[in-house]
Amino acid sequence: MALLDVKNLTLEIDTGGEFVKALDKVSLMVEAGEIKALVGESGSGKSLIVRAIIGAIPDHWIIKADRLTWKGQNLLAMSNEQRRVIMRREIAVVFQDPTSSLDPSATLRAQLEESIPEELLDKGMFWKRNKQRREIAIGLMHKVGIKNQESFMQRYPHEIPADIAQKFMIAMALVSEPELLIADDPTRSMESTTKNQILRLLSGLNETKNLAILFVSHDLLAISSMAHTMTVLYCGQTVESGRVKHLHRRPLHPYTKALLDSAPSFQINLPPKSHLVALEGTIPTLQHLPIGCRLGPRCPNARRECVKVPEQRSIHHHSYSCHFPLHLLVEEKMENKE
Amino acid sequence: MINLLMRYVNLLVLTVSVLVIFSFSLAYLFPGDTLTNISGIVPETDAQRAALEEAFKLNSSIFAQFWHYLENLVSGNWGVSFTSQVGLFEQISIAFPASMELTIYALLVSIVVGIPLGFIGGIWHHKPFDFGVVSFSIVSYSFPVFWLALIFITIFSLQLGLLPLSGRVNLLYDVPHSSGFILWDIWQSDIPNKYDAFIDAIRHLILPTASIALVTTAIFIRFTRRAIMDEMEKGYIDAAKSRGFTTKQIFFKHGLRNALVPILPLMAMQVSTLITNAMVVETIFSWPGIGNWLIQAIYQRDYPAIRIGMLVVSVFVVTLTITIEFISRAIDPARDKFERATI
Repeated sequence: MALLDVKNLTLEIDTGGEFVKALDKVSLMVEAGEIKALVGESGSGKSLIVRAIIGAIPDHWIIKADRLTWKGQNLLAMSNEQRRVIMRREIAVVFQDPTSSLDPSATLRAQLEESIPEELLDKGMFWKRNKQRREIAIGLMHKVGIKNQESFMQRYPHEIPADIAQKFMIAMALVSEPELLIADDPTRSMESTTKNQILRLLSGLNETKNLAILFVSHDLLAISSMAHTMTVLYCGQTVESGRVKHLHRRPLHPYTKALLDSAPSFQINLPPKSHLVALEGTIPTLQHLPIGCRLGPRCPNARRECVKVPEQRSIHHHSYSCHFPLHLLVEEKMENKE
Repeated sequence: MINLLMRYVNLLVLTVSVLVIFSFSLAYLFPGDTLTNISGIVPETDAQRAALEEAFKLNSSIFAQFWHYLENLVSGNWGVSFTSQVGLFEQISIAFPASMELTIYALLVSIVVGIPLGFIGGIWHHKPFDFGVVSFSIVSYSFPVFWLALIFITIFSLQLGLLPLSGRVNLLYDVPHSSGFILWDIWQSDIPNKYDAFIDAIRHLILPTASIALVTTAIFIRFTRRAIMDEMEKGYIDAAKSRGFTTKQIFFKHGLRNALVPILPLMAMQVSTLITNAMVVETIFSWPGIGNWLIQAIYQRDYPAIRIGMLVVSVFVVTLTITIEFISRAIDPARDKFERATI
């Protein structure tokens, strides 16, 4: 059974008076022990999915889903307390901006030690438990590769650099020994050395602890080097998902193809000073979403049928939502030639 | 920390010396005889005038005069009142604690009522309870203090007859003066009917305290509510939720502390507003405080009293403000420390 199973998640958010479907029938599945990448442009709703999963959504937003389950338990139906317990022990989240995700008025030590679940400590008097907490904290900071643990422990969040803060966030996420780590764009605005350290740390955790990771990012290069499967998101709709290898070799959805083409790193025979392929136009704002397939107005292959939302179809664990996927177009062309 | 302390002490000393210079120059700026303005005594004979001029060093240079003035200030020799010929230091040491008492109780009431209401309103914002809290704070913020005091007197003293009209304690109880704080004095004294006197003093306190505290409570509610609302939307609250902390843990351990750090100095700054309001309300309730005393002095053109009264009140407010600023600077880790350079 999948760890996290999201099927047709629809989230309507309040944009001052009217409700807009910021997420429209998003489907996503994370298996135990895999690294799942969630890719999409800024504003495509990646962070909203994360917030919907962890339950940090304002009460008046409307959330609907055919399935939003964690190991078979329905997350939407359970009480806040049950959900809190799951978040406490089984799911951990690393947020985009590490410094603002830390309490500015508490030292790192206080925050890390607060996150240690009581169950992990042996029974004992409070000073023994304090000592244990401290040892666990130091061990974790060592594990995520922070040197000078003692001195960083006494600092406040505004006094540490962003990369240390992000490693620290990962340490805090690992403290409860979770089964799923949701990393919401953890390497945003980091330079490549630091970024690689973080990515290597995450891959290492996946291999050694069999930790499932939902890696949310728009960094295709990073994803292709570490993720096993990926889901592409456009404007709040899932466009395509499958194994990273398959998607690279043969994207079925025009958007995925455009996305891969726009990244020069994936094109071996790119002549110098040549134009990069990009779709016309920009991602629409929430107030002006097109009906049907949201890629419609920008899609090179759009036809009349595209005003209806395409059903999700799948071939060999590779699913896509498009009326005219690329492999069918090729066949069509062949037929026309004949 | 020592550096910070030195900076604030420096600021305090400079500001206070400007105030002292100003109060000294008032003796020359007020209409009338400089000698009378500085000493409070109208000389009747030339010999007396010469003796006073000698005593206040008015024949020497202006610097010597100022030095002498400073010495007198420090030693508590503040001159006498123009009208009553009673020592100003003695008068102020009776009037000032009375004002302080009123201010402190009003501040306590505002904190005890305002912060919890603002906290609840901020957490459940845009719910019926919050609308109630906000309406209450807007209405009470809009009342002019003097008008409110008069309305209170009309309703509670004159029409309903529930509470006394003026003064600190009924004249029946002869409370000996020791600290100047009436409740403490009654507690300390061994007069008969101590308990009744205590209740009576509290009944006298209710109306003036309420009329001053209402405005400050409204301000505190609005500060706390806004700060909690802002703080609850920040990323670390979401992060704390995602870590599965209990709601109680999030509100009290993270939300409240971070909300209070920026607003505590703002709240403390309201103390000077509180003192100003207290001085107005004292006059209405005939409370024997510094405000009432100062207004009497102004009516009677009692220049020495005005000079010293202004100095005492302003030095107090300045000292308080700087102390609060220092404390809030010292406890907030994110302020005044170097920001780390990022790449």
